[in-house]
Amino acid sequence: MIKLSVYARAILASAEMSFRETMTDGFVVFGIFVQPLIIAILGLWMLRDRGGDYAIFVVVGSGLTGLWSSLLFISGNSITHERWTGTLETLVGVPTPLGVIVFGKNLANVLQSMGSMAVSYLLASLLFGYPLTVAEPLLFGISLILTVIAFVSFGLVIAPIFVMNPDVQRWQNGLEFPVYILAGFLFPIALLPGWTTPISYLLAPYWAAQALHLTSSGGGTQTQILVSWGMLLFFSMIYIFVSRVLFRVMLRKARIEATLGLE
Amino acid sequence: MNAIEVKNLRRVYRTTIGVIRRRVKEVVAVDDISFDVAPGELFGLLGPNGAGKTTTVKMLTTLLFPTGGTAKVLGFDVVKQSDPIRPRIGFIFGGERGLYWRLSAIDNLRYFASLYHVEPEVARKRIPYLLELMRLDGRGQEKVEGYSRGMKQRLHVARTLLHDPELLFLDEPTIGLDPIGARELRQVIRDLQSEKKTILLTTHYMFEADALCSRIAVIVHGRIVALDTPEGLKRHVRDLSVIELEVYGIPPEILDVLRALDVVEAVTVEDRDQKQALLVQSPGGSEAVPEILATLSGLRVGKVIVREPTLEDAYVRLVGGEASP
Repeated sequence: MIKLSVYARAILASAEMSFRETMTDGFVVFGIFVQPLIIAILGLWMLRDRGGDYAIFVVVGSGLTGLWSSLLFISGNSITHERWTGTLETLVGVPTPLGVIVFGKNLANVLQSMGSMAVSYLLASLLFGYPLTVAEPLLFGISLILTVIAFVSFGLVIAPIFVMNPDVQRWQNGLEFPVYILAGFLFPIALLPGWTTPISYLLAPYWAAQALHLTSSGGGTQTQILVSWGMLLFFSMIYIFVSRVLFRVMLRKARIEATLGLE
Repeated sequence: MNAIEVKNLRRVYRTTIGVIRRRVKEVVAVDDISFDVAPGELFGLLGPNGAGKTTTVKMLTTLLFPTGGTAKVLGFDVVKQSDPIRPRIGFIFGGERGLYWRLSAIDNLRYFASLYHVEPEVARKRIPYLLELMRLDGRGQEKVEGYSRGMKQRLHVARTLLHDPELLFLDEPTIGLDPIGARELRQVIRDLQSEKKTILLTTHYMFEADALCSRIAVIVHGRIVALDTPEGLKRHVRDLSVIELEVYGIPPEILDVLRALDVVEAVTVEDRDQKQALLVQSPGGSEAVPEILATLSGLRVGKVIVREPTLEDAYVRLVGGEASP
């Protein structure tokens, strides 16, 4: 119980720290707010002839692009960034496990990325004048929470992988747009060739997009929504389990190979 | 129980060289060292750059696995029991890195207080106290990026005292500080010792080790070449005199000739603006001066002084003239 409260405090402190740091970083502000805004403008412009019904789909979808990009570039680099700034050794030497610290950083990152969805919402409503209503507000809220958990957990998996495999990290740019498409952020995956569908099913962002689109645009059955939620929880649990192993391996490797610092 | 127990500790770094035909190169950073530190002791690890001081501290602070040997900190093994060690120790590594520069000192301290599980109400009182102790009060709200090197070093010390650890590792804490900043930090270290904290200090400044430490281990090329009190170390050079000569542009080959003389034990050179100070340790004292001056014939020589050896001279003898004070 005592451990839980100190860890909760450490998570909140790491989240606050990360938020204060990243909001002064131009690259982060671009990834979270400007890029999704550009995608939203393009999407809303292209779909203007289809009327306002489709606008909420674009708003949610462009928000998800911001979420995915920030996950890939900010959460993915969360440990590497500490290493470059020389704070990683200090963080590894504290009693709080590094995984708990990175969880807090990812939480801040995912929550602030949600801001891009709000910006897209305002844009569609004020600039394009679409009447935006969320079909199932309560279910949409639950979907958002599950999306946050899944994305934060996924960040815990990719950060140690990127640290241990600089070669994989070089694929970051290449991983950005395929997931926008395969996860159905901006258009349904039914428009893609059939062979890509199984790949989509293996991506947590696809189930996040499903849950958010079905509850915001409406039209989804209860079963479809529950399946999306179940898959998000399933992936979150797998990610957390895998991340525990990865953090252990990464820290052991770093202490053997002396790679916590850069000198 | 000793605060630190090190037995036959060894650390080898492996690195690859070459692009096409890659070869593994091994560098022995710490080579079979053993020492103990008693509770409440201020123990110094003295050695030139690259001697293995930081590597030793990193192993003792659980950040690096040893390649061989064992080390216990406060009774816990540094490899198998890192969890109980971490809340009980504090550490700083010399230099400016390791802080969040875009945030204020108070933000940095609040963050690390949470990570060290310091209760919020305790942290609220301790942070202003530590800022005052480190003479950073009134500057706590400023971003760290605007701090001088000395202020950053003092913030590091404040950070490491947040959870009131019983054992401190201070790795070259005064490196790069101006003389006044370094003197102030040394006073802080004395104050900490008066609070009965155990401190392991690494430095390559002899006078610092002499002024602060009760015992000093001199480490060279990863091996401990002497372990004694400062007075005990000075006895290593009691039979020698130091001849200081002011010279202008001494060529390296002349130094080799000097070192080969029977009357010469060790030679070091310090750059002093346009000239150099040649420090020659000799068992012959002033009687060796003519032979040394004959070797330097043709060179412009200024003042010549013969004096008693200091701890620095003992250190120079122990490290074989590699010191860079």
